Amino acid sequence: MIRTVKPKNARSKRALKDKESKLIENVKTALFVPGATSNKALHDISVDLSALKKPDIKRFSKKNEVRPFEDSSKLEFFSEKNDTSLIVLSTSSKKRKNNLTFVRTFGYKIFDMIELLVLDNFKLLQDFRKSTFAVGLKPMFTFNGEVFESHPVYKHVKSLFLDFFRGETTDLQDVAGLQHIISITAGEALEGQPLPLVNFRVYTLKTFKSGQKVPRVELNEIGPRLDFAIGRYEEPSPEMLKEALKKPRQLEARTVKNIETDVVGDKIGRVHVGKQDLNKMQTRKMKGLKKRFDQVGEDFDDPIYDDEPANKKAKI
Amino acid sequence: MSDQKPIPVTYDLGNLAVFDTNALESDKLSINNPDREEYIKSISRDNAQLLINQILSLPIKTTTESNGSSGQSSSITLVQLPQPTTDLPREKPLPKAKEPTKWELFAAKKGIKAKEKSGKMVYDEATGEWVPKWGYKGKNKQLDDQWLVEVDDKVKGTEDELIDPRSLNRAERKKLVKKNELQQKRNLQNSGN
Repeated sequence: MIRTVKPKNARSKRALKDKESKLIENVKTALFVPGATSNKALHDISVDLSALKKPDIKRFSKKNEVRPFEDSSKLEFFSEKNDTSLIVLSTSSKKRKNNLTFVRTFGYKIFDMIELLVLDNFKLLQDFRKSTFAVGLKPMFTFNGEVFESHPVYKHVKSLFLDFFRGETTDLQDVAGLQHIISITAGEALEGQPLPLVNFRVYTLKTFKSGQKVPRVELNEIGPRLDFAIGRYEEPSPEMLKEALKKPRQLEARTVKNIETDVVGDKIGRVHVGKQDLNKMQTRKMKGLKKRFDQVGEDFDDPIYDDEPANKKAKI
Repeated sequence: MSDQKPIPVTYDLGNLAVFDTNALESDKLSINNPDREEYIKSISRDNAQLLINQILSLPIKTTTESNGSSGQSSSITLVQLPQPTTDLPREKPLPKAKEPTKWELFAAKKGIKAKEKSGKMVYDEATGEWVPKWGYKGKNKQLDDQWLVEVDDKVKGTEDELIDPRSLNRAERKKLVKKNELQQKRNLQNSGN
């Protein structure tokens, strides 16, 4: 736990308030930490990954001696100090070459970890030399492969990448902002064979007129192109997972009686009105219809007028 | 255009994501296959097309934004996304409700309703002006700058009788402030546990 002092001015007070837990959370920030054995290739890869994640990133320039699977307290400290819940640690050794450890934290405690080893055939953004995506746009995702629904490790990978790159959650998306798609592909996991690779690709979209309402889409690879092999991984503890997936009750949409939304998205309300008394309805005003001219009285006794209702009389 | 898949893909439009669970050809995905990139790209293209088709069929909202100086107006087409459906972990635990203070507990027990807010200003009968209840030129500081102050009946006969009533009044105020600070601190400590 980091010692916190009582804020002395409004700016630091706001900054502290922003760090507190909220109903609608801030975008998760990623922290890139080079490990003691990090190298040039890993540095370049983290630069490219951070370019995809910008502006919600922090990048350390100095190397840090961290072994997350043995002692994770240092990463928890980094997470709390920088208010980041996604950490990417880069290390390389003979046994695990070009290893990126993706760590997620929950409440500044380690949530889950997975090691993704980058194969040597990676290609960086600069190797494609094409116009890239604009900074801060929400990417689209495609997860190709049945393993992402069935295998726990690949479910983890799916959840991780979606969480990592999705950026801000909005209910309104600019159509012009749909510019790039992150494609994550993995083959089948067969028993007795090593786990399949995770292929990470980023494409920009090009749209062409198709003659129909929706345009035809073509893809253009812009990189980074990374093939990951799965290393060690650590799943979240069941209690922590339950706590982390809780949905705030305040945000649940309350069902209001008699208000519905139809298929088109229009709001429909049903209103119940009491029965109208037609006898009291205001009709046309005329001098001759005034009460004092009413002939239904003491001396005048016409049987025709007697039975007729009041509103009928007004029509004459 | 709209490509048919044996197993229909699923979408999470709130996250702009598409999940394709159709079987992939392992030999085409193997690292030695020269056409591997083309294969991955073609699958991704098909899914991107499906995703775009879905997104563009969502309800659309068009807003016009006028750029003041140039006088030009540009319209933005926005699609209304549904709530994300994939369960992703939160960053921090849900915020906890604030602990009730000792007074709030007591008031709830006794059924005392919170006082209605009456505002900071109060009418001064003597000068005919509205003055703040406390703070700069506050009503509670009125005694401080009087040249003549009546000795309170309560003080008469006690040892405080000979002390300046102005400083007595000031000391009283300071004592209340101290007491309130202590209560705040105690409530904060109790809520921490």
